[in-house]
Parts: sequence; C-alpha cells; structure tokens
Amino acid sequence: MTGFVFKEWKQNRWFILSMILCGALPAVFFLEKDIFNDINVLRIFGMISAFLVAGGLQTMVLMGDDRRLWGYWVTSTSEGYKGFLRVKYEMVFGMVLLFLFSLQTVDSLICAAAADIGITEIRDISIIMIPLAFLQILLRAVDIPFTLRYGNKKGSLIKLIYSLVFAIILSVIILTNICNSSVILFDAFKKLFTGDHLSLLFGVFAVSVLVIYYLSYRISCRIYLKGVEQYDR
Amino acid sequence: MTAKKENAKRLGIYLLTVSLFVLLFFVFRKPMNKSSTVFFILYYCLFSFSPAIASLITRAVTKEGFRDMKLHLNLDGNFKWYLLAFGLPLTVFSARILLPVLISGHSDWLGGFTFQNVLASVFILAALSAVQSIGLLGEELGWRGYMNRKMEPLFGTVGTCLIGGIMWSLWHLPMDLGGWLDGEGTFSDVLQICGERMLLLTCFGTFLMWLTKKTDSVFPAAAAHFMFNQSQEALGGLLSQGNIPENADLGAIATVFEYVPVVLLAAVFMGLLLREKKKSPKTA
Repeated sequence: MTGFVFKEWKQNRWFILSMILCGALPAVFFLEKDIFNDINVLRIFGMISAFLVAGGLQTMVLMGDDRRLWGYWVTSTSEGYKGFLRVKYEMVFGMVLLFLFSLQTVDSLICAAAADIGITEIRDISIIMIPLAFLQILLRAVDIPFTLRYGNKKGSLIKLIYSLVFAIILSVIILTNICNSSVILFDAFKKLFTGDHLSLLFGVFAVSVLVIYYLSYRISCRIYLKGVEQYDR
Repeated sequence: MTAKKENAKRLGIYLLTVSLFVLLFFVFRKPMNKSSTVFFILYYCLFSFSPAIASLITRAVTKEGFRDMKLHLNLDGNFKWYLLAFGLPLTVFSARILLPVLISGHSDWLGGFTFQNVLASVFILAALSAVQSIGLLGEELGWRGYMNRKMEPLFGTVGTCLIGGIMWSLWHLPMDLGGWLDGEGTFSDVLQICGERMLLLTCFGTFLMWLTKKTDSVFPAAAAHFMFNQSQEALGGLLSQGNIPENADLGAIATVFEYVPVVLLAAVFMGLLLREKKKSPKTA
C-alpha cells in the first residue's frame, strides 16, 4: 500500500499541493475588489471559482494511468488493482478535504481582516461551502468509474453523453407533464426546501454522497479490468 | 543512549516546543485582543496546530524521521472502530446532557428533540465528521500520534493516560486564563474550569489513546475528537429549542451526570488498554 501512496505522491504531488493554492484563490479576487461592492458577494464569487478550478485539478490526477501494461502490472502486485484503486479514491477524497480546509482557513482570514477594518456585514458562507464540497465529492464519485472504464479521453466524452441523455429525459418528463410529473416534482421540491426539512435534507444528501463515493469505489473495482482491455498500450 | 533515555529526550523536546507555542498566547495577548487577524493567525493557524508542528520539529531535530506517523487510514477491518469514534462521543454526551433532565422529570424541556431534528443532527454530524475532522489532525498528530507513544515506555499505560490527559488539558490553559487576564471572572473560576477540563480530557483521552492503538491510525481519534467538540454543540442546539425556564437548575444530579458517563468510558477503555497490553508479546 505504501508503494501506491508513494507512486501517487511522486506522480501527483503538484496537483495535491495545488489544492492549498485553490483554497487561497478567493483572496486573489480582493486585488480587484472594485468589481463588487459587497464583500460577501466577492467571497461567494471567489469560492465558486475556487471550486471550479479545484474540481478541474482533481480530475487531472486520474490521467496517466490508462495504459494497458500498467493495468496488467498493477493487477499482478500483492495489493492488486483493488489496492491501487483504493489509494486513488483516498487521494481524491483527501484532495477535496485539503481544498475545503484551505478554503475555510483563507475565508476566515478574510473575515478577520475585514472585521479589523471595520466591515461588520460579514455573512457565514459555510452554508454554501459545505454542500458544494459534498457536491464535489459526488462529481468525483461519478468521474472516476467513467475514466477507469473508458480511459481518460473517451471516459469524459461518454460521461458527457450520459449527462446529456439524462438532462434530455428529465426535460421531456417535465415539459410534457407525463402522469402529472412536473406538478408532483414541484410540490415535492417545495415541501423539501422549506426551513423545517432543510437540515434533514442536507444531512441525508451528505451521508448519501459518502455512501455513493464508497459504492463508486466498488463499481470501479468491478469494471477496472474490463477497462484495461480497452486501454492503449 | 538507551531507548528509554532517547524517548525521554524526545518527549522533553516535544513538550518544550508545545510550551513555547502556549507562551505565544501570553506574549502576544495585547495584539491578539486588538486585532482579529492577529488572533486568527496565532490561535487558529499556529496554536491549534502546535501539537502537530511540535511533533514534526521534534522528529526533525532528533533525526527520528517522519515514518510511522500513523497517517494511513487503515480502513481494512477497522471500519467498526471508525463508527465507534463517531457514535461513542455522541452517546456519552447524550447521556451527560439528557439523562439528568429525564431523571429529574423534566422531559417537557426536550421539545427540540423531535425525530426529524435528531435524525438531521445525527446525519449532519456523521457527514461533517468525515470532511471537517481534518483540522483536528493538528492536535491528534501530536498528542496521540507522538506524545502518548513516547510516554508509554516511560510511565506505563495508566501513567500515560493520566499525565497525557493533564498535559493535553494544560495546553488549553491560555483559553481558560484569557477571560481572567482581561479582568473577567475570578481566579477560582479559572481553577474550577481548568479542573473540570482536566478530568474530562484525561478520561476522554483514554478512549482516544485506545482508538489510536487499535487502528494504528490517528484519523479515528481525529474523528472522535471532532465528535467530542461538535456533539456538545449539537445537543445544546436541540436543547435550546425546548421550553427551558431561565432559572432552570437540576442541582447535584446534573453535576454527577456531567462526569459519570465520561469516567465510565475511561474505566472501560483503560481496562481494554491494560488487557491488550497483557496480551501483546513482550519485547526486550
């Protein structure tokens, strides 16, 4: 296991360390603070930008391992491909945590500095930050199996096709109002997103994301060898 | 140099380095009171990570190296202990807060504890313990991941739990003293807070030590530490939603239950630590 950790560190250390810089990204927007008058808008804008950049960098650690020979070799090691995939999943999860930690630290520093210069209307943006972090974990849980099954380039394309098909089906269901579905969906959302249910909804979502991430690992374990057969030499 | 002397030297350097970080709190007290930025940098960025920073400094200074920092997740076969790290602090704090209210016949105070609220809190705590406890590695890498391991060959298991717990609570001293130094409260209040914290942390530290040794990783201890901090907040939040009179006082029963669950926890895990030590093969 230590060997795989060492390999991932040697191969992806700059991507891993870049998570700290991504967390510090909102601070850069303060150099151009004239664009926004409101500090909270600036913090939210910076945070969303940081999430997008970090998300892109997290997917890049999946590149470079879609080689058939590597797949065969890693399967023959004592830990097997399951050990390799586990380290990969742990690393990506660790990257999300490192990014979130860095983002929260920088945001708190911005708030402290703002308080020092007399800005009082500072809002708590963790209510957006934490759900976004879970959303990021969910997106990685979807990305990884596609990349492992179809390789990096083809995987992204197939994921895009699946996403488009899903979006089209959903739009058709809502627009055509089959079995009164749009009304049912609207009522369900209205009910769920009221203040009473919001914390339960977030709790269920967050725990589900963690379960989905684990299931994603199990799916990756099942499809990895099929994917290896399709990789380039 | 014998292994014991080497351990003592490393422990000495570690504790000295941590103490220097504690001193920062007193040296920079004035600028910290004046500026939120200075407070944030010194408190959150330096002080709360001081046990981990001190362990890294000690490892570098004594040329011990950075191997075996217990930074592997070790999930294989240990998932149940991760669940325990989540569930046990929550159970202990629930017993600590809810039992005196129920026993004294004030169940009407628990209006906030609806099924939906409790479920939401448990789910949120479970999810957050997975993503937010990384910050507590700043403490766990030092206390459980380094100090306890250096103490155990010197003071034995019971001694490590006691002295380690005392050291851990003394590290919180700047927070206890802060108010008094600013002219709020009396010194006896500080001593009382300090004593309560010492008992609580020494007992809870026993569980964290057992958890670290059982899983050979500091991550479950970090998750349990997170739950230790957040359970109180979550339970307090739910309690505040109930109809509690302003002058509510449960008397002696509340004081008893404040310590009984955590002392029982310490006794159980101390027993387990001693049993496992007895079972483990003796090395020269």
